[in-house]
Amino acid sequence: MQIFSSFEHSSYIELAITALEQIGIEKENILAVPLYNRIEERKLFDTLHRADGVSLFDTGAALGTAFSVIGTCFGFALAWGPIIWGLIGAIIGFLLGFIINYTFYKITRNKQRALKGKKSEVFLVINCPQEIVEQVEKILWENFALGVSKV
Amino acid sequence: MDNFHPTNKERRFKAYLGPLGTTQLHLRNPYVVAWWSAAFPGFGHLLLSKYIRGFSLFIWEVFVNSMSNLNHAIVFSFIGNFEMAKEVLDPRWLLLYLPVYMFAIWDSYRTTMDINKEFILAERENAEINTYSITSMEINYLDKRRPIMAVLWSLMTPGLGQLYIHRIFTAIFTMGFMIVFVYFSNALVAVHWIFLGDLNEAKEVIDPQWFLFIPSNIGFAVYDSYTNTVENNKLYESEQRKFLRKNYQHYHVKL
Repeated sequence: MQIFSSFEHSSYIELAITALEQIGIEKENILAVPLYNRIEERKLFDTLHRADGVSLFDTGAALGTAFSVIGTCFGFALAWGPIIWGLIGAIIGFLLGFIINYTFYKITRNKQRALKGKKSEVFLVINCPQEIVEQVEKILWENFALGVSKV
Repeated sequence: MDNFHPTNKERRFKAYLGPLGTTQLHLRNPYVVAWWSAAFPGFGHLLLSKYIRGFSLFIWEVFVNSMSNLNHAIVFSFIGNFEMAKEVLDPRWLLLYLPVYMFAIWDSYRTTMDINKEFILAERENAEINTYSITSMEINYLDKRRPIMAVLWSLMTPGLGQLYIHRIFTAIFTMGFMIVFVYFSNALVAVHWIFLGDLNEAKEVIDPQWFLFIPSNIGFAVYDSYTNTVENNKLYESEQRKFLRKNYQHYHVKL
């Protein structure tokens, strides 16, 4: 009997595998196939000049800090004072940076569809005798398999 | 105790996991790193995990900036009071500032370009790394963590986000200096006045020289903990992928 299941990358896969080994399933009967995520694969080929994946946050954090410093300075001359103007500056700067990046991505990466929700990242196939199928399925579900099916 | 010992056959490692933290190479945008050095000398190097020079530059900045009253003069310049800006600057200290400031920006930019190349080479080599370290003082292991929690804790107290992802040195350093900045700037006294509704008193009580250190410190703590959480998660996935491929690909599916 072959049992197919899929998982996200986390310690739960290793917990599931070790639990299966404890009930007597040998390494030779377990197949793990980690999938390369399409988007992540592409990132490696990004240029040296761009960090990957986190860029939406980059400009926001940088402009947020810059505007916060400027807001703080002006705050000493304005009625609400440096703390409130510093916070206003931080929020405006962050939103501005975020919008700039977001628009940029919308224009340049229009064709790439974003994957939403959970992603299957690892397929786990277990070859086991008929008698313990239920036990194996239970272990897989207990360790948060995204889906389980027997063939 | 570690779960890995090098064989002398590796050329590069993309990460090092020890009891005090996880150091990791990953692709960074050199302009972003240079910008953090401009916001606060030392931050760019801390982002690159060059901690000793990062902390040295940070301490240098706090010292020379406060001796020359630079922050105070920046505030006066922004609000158009140029006479007072000239008045508060101390010429005994001011010119010491520029060369080191420029060096921090330039050096962090240059280092980012180098480390990006090292990362690509290390990624292609994909050597085994240590993923688990247990000692009498600390326990550190590769794990997946939530970037949003790193951001939220950093906003509450800069340094807590770094504790969340097990970067002990940056956490202690950031939290320690935050205490210094908050205390000398009277920031919390001002917050107290804001809640009592007296905005004028809140403005009066703040010391601009020390207060101006705070926004960059918070911004950096948030950014550093966020990016490192994301990168730690990617490292975890890449290591687990490698482990599964090596150990669990003997069986072949029969149809």
